[in-house]
Amino acid sequence: MERGPERNINQYLLQSSEDEIKRIALELHEGVAQTLFSIYTGIQLLETSTEDIKMKNYVREMAEVLERTIQEIRYLSVELHPPTLSTIGFFPALQSYLKLYTSTFGIVVDIEQAGEEIPLPVNHRIGLFRVCQEALANIAKYADSAKIKLQLNWEHHRVQILIQDFGIGFDVDAHIESHGLAAMAERMKLIGGDCIITSQLGKGTTIRLELGFASNVNGEGEKV
Amino acid sequence: MFNKSKNYEPILQECKQLKKEINCDFVGFAFQNTIGPDIKWHIAAGNHNEKYKLISVRYGKGIAGRVISTGRAMTIEDFPHHIIGKVLEYPIMLAEKLVYSHAVPVYYKEAAKGVLLVGNRSNKQLSREDVLIVQAASNKIEKIISC
Ligand SMILES: Nc1ncnc2c1ncn2[C@@H]1O[C@H](COP(=O)(O)OP(=O)(O)OP(=O)(O)O)[C@@H](O)[C@H]1O
Ligand SMILES: [Mg+2]
Repeated sequence: MERGPERNINQYLLQSSEDEIKRIALELHEGVAQTLFSIYTGIQLLETSTEDIKMKNYVREMAEVLERTIQEIRYLSVELHPPTLSTIGFFPALQSYLKLYTSTFGIVVDIEQAGEEIPLPVNHRIGLFRVCQEALANIAKYADSAKIKLQLNWEHHRVQILIQDFGIGFDVDAHIESHGLAAMAERMKLIGGDCIITSQLGKGTTIRLELGFASNVNGEGEKV
Repeated sequence: MFNKSKNYEPILQECKQLKKEINCDFVGFAFQNTIGPDIKWHIAAGNHNEKYKLISVRYGKGIAGRVISTGRAMTIEDFPHHIIGKVLEYPIMLAEKLVYSHAVPVYYKEAAKGVLLVGNRSNKQLSREDVLIVQAASNKIEKIISC
């Protein structure tokens, strides 16, 4: 197998871009959003301390724009890298992303979890999270499905994730080399897992992700 | 402010009327919630599904988010081609499979608090008269919510 060095460099590139994304997300969430929030409370104080009705309305308007901006920054950070992903765990991070997903795209996600989350190495969590994100993005873009069923099964030696939509379906073989789908497979491979896509025209698509716990691909498993 | 129990019917009628008048596929009305900063799609005509009811317009993003943040009308001619930002930033276009859309702000007390959007599932465009009709409908809606 001649894939060793190539895979290592791919992994390195991926890791550095994930590190950067995480840094930006944290800076937005802990830095920018916090600072804006202080300004927001200051502006609210201004609103209550002025008697001038016109000024009051103007200040309230400013506070509202600020409030929305703060909310949008928080959402952005959840999309980039949920703050809980590398701290608390994969499932809480996925949940906060799914909540945002439903309110953004209007697609209901039924989540079912069986078993208890095994704390995975952070790069495994990030890998799983990105693949779920891509699967969900494809559903929002193409599936024309109002509902998604997402199942997480924590077994003693592996975790299995099923993402099922009930939309138009597509010819998987014809698209398997397409970048988005190929990247899902590759990311799962990089962490020692699998991505299996099945689809039926008119019925919908199922993405099955599997990741064994013992696998410690290229010794990178514990890297945070 | 948009008051659901009072304003829903008259605005729905306005949307249906608009849809018929300019012969488009979809009309949607989004407005800021009474409490909190969320902007939701409250009313639709010609919708294919109920997704719009769950969608919160993201401030500054997509067609509706931009119309509200800039206070100006916006048109998308041929989705998903030639758009600002990513395809995923246009949830209402994706949800209703729109290809063309034109959206105008709905003002309340001198601030853009909502949006009236008309769309087609083909790239059929609005005529200049149609654009004026949409603007007039938005003005009527502004009157409905101001009293
Ligand atoms: N859940 C789905 N339902 C229906 N069609 C799908 C689904 N997922 C993918 N497809 C089809 O498979 C094609 C390839 O998907 P892929 O993710 O590789 O590309 P993309 O989403 O078009 O672009 P990118 O992911 O690079 O932004 C899509 O263009 C679409 O036709
Ligand atoms: Mg894709």
